[in-house]
Amino acid sequence: MTEAATIDAVMRTLADPTRRAVFERVVRSDEITVGELTRGSGVTQGAISQHLKSLKQAGLVAERPEGRNVYYRAEPEGLAPLVEWMGSYAVFWRERFADLRTLLQEIDP
Amino acid sequence: MSDTATLADRHEIVVDEVFPHTLEVLWKTLTSPGMMGRWLHMEPTGFRPVVGTRFTYQTTPAGEWDGVIHCQVLEATPLERLVYSWKGGHEGNVGYGARLDTVVTFTLSAAEGGTRLRLVHSGFVLPKNEIAFTNMGQGWTKVVQAIDAIAAEQG
Repeated sequence: MTEAATIDAVMRTLADPTRRAVFERVVRSDEITVGELTRGSGVTQGAISQHLKSLKQAGLVAERPEGRNVYYRAEPEGLAPLVEWMGSYAVFWRERFADLRTLLQEIDP
Repeated sequence: MSDTATLADRHEIVVDEVFPHTLEVLWKTLTSPGMMGRWLHMEPTGFRPVVGTRFTYQTTPAGEWDGVIHCQVLEATPLERLVYSWKGGHEGNVGYGARLDTVVTFTLSAAEGGTRLRLVHSGFVLPKNEIAFTNMGQGWTKVVQAIDAIAAEQG
């Protein structure tokens, strides 16, 4: 994992809907090229390349050059900090708020 | 936390909702130990809404952590703000039960239709040793959805 792969970097990187869509497509493929990602995406190849660069900097994708192509694959470790740790607390508090709402309805209808 | 320079390595969780109840009722649910236990699902031991008071929550142990969350009241302004430290976990744990040295802040304010409750749980630091996820499989989509929700909350 690179230095840049902090919770905040991951969150900022995936906050962009287009970039998140690119990431989801990479996740669903074993390996995929920029050309394949561009086809049918409605976005230019240059834009896709920029999103891949950001995802790579955040530690979310890795690349493998082969011949004239570069293949991209998802890097599961990139998400681990956010999901495993902070995510569990975000879920914890959202659930507690829901329970608080229920309790309030009971004691103060 | 307004200093963006610190956001790269420290992070916070924010949940902000309006409840159709008065400030007084909300304050009671935040500060009466019996009520706290009913919605937090862990009743505090030794809690009083008085600055300096030390209290604990008992939750599920993990590894070398006994599951005790150690807290101290840092601020208690009736009907407005309750702040306490939230420390627990163990260096040997990753994910659940990882070392935590955080602060929980509840802020109440009058809002249209009731009372706004804003929770900020701050001071999360990226754990040093993360276990690599190698076999996430179909869990990926859920993971991304979860991040979407978290990112939306962070604004």
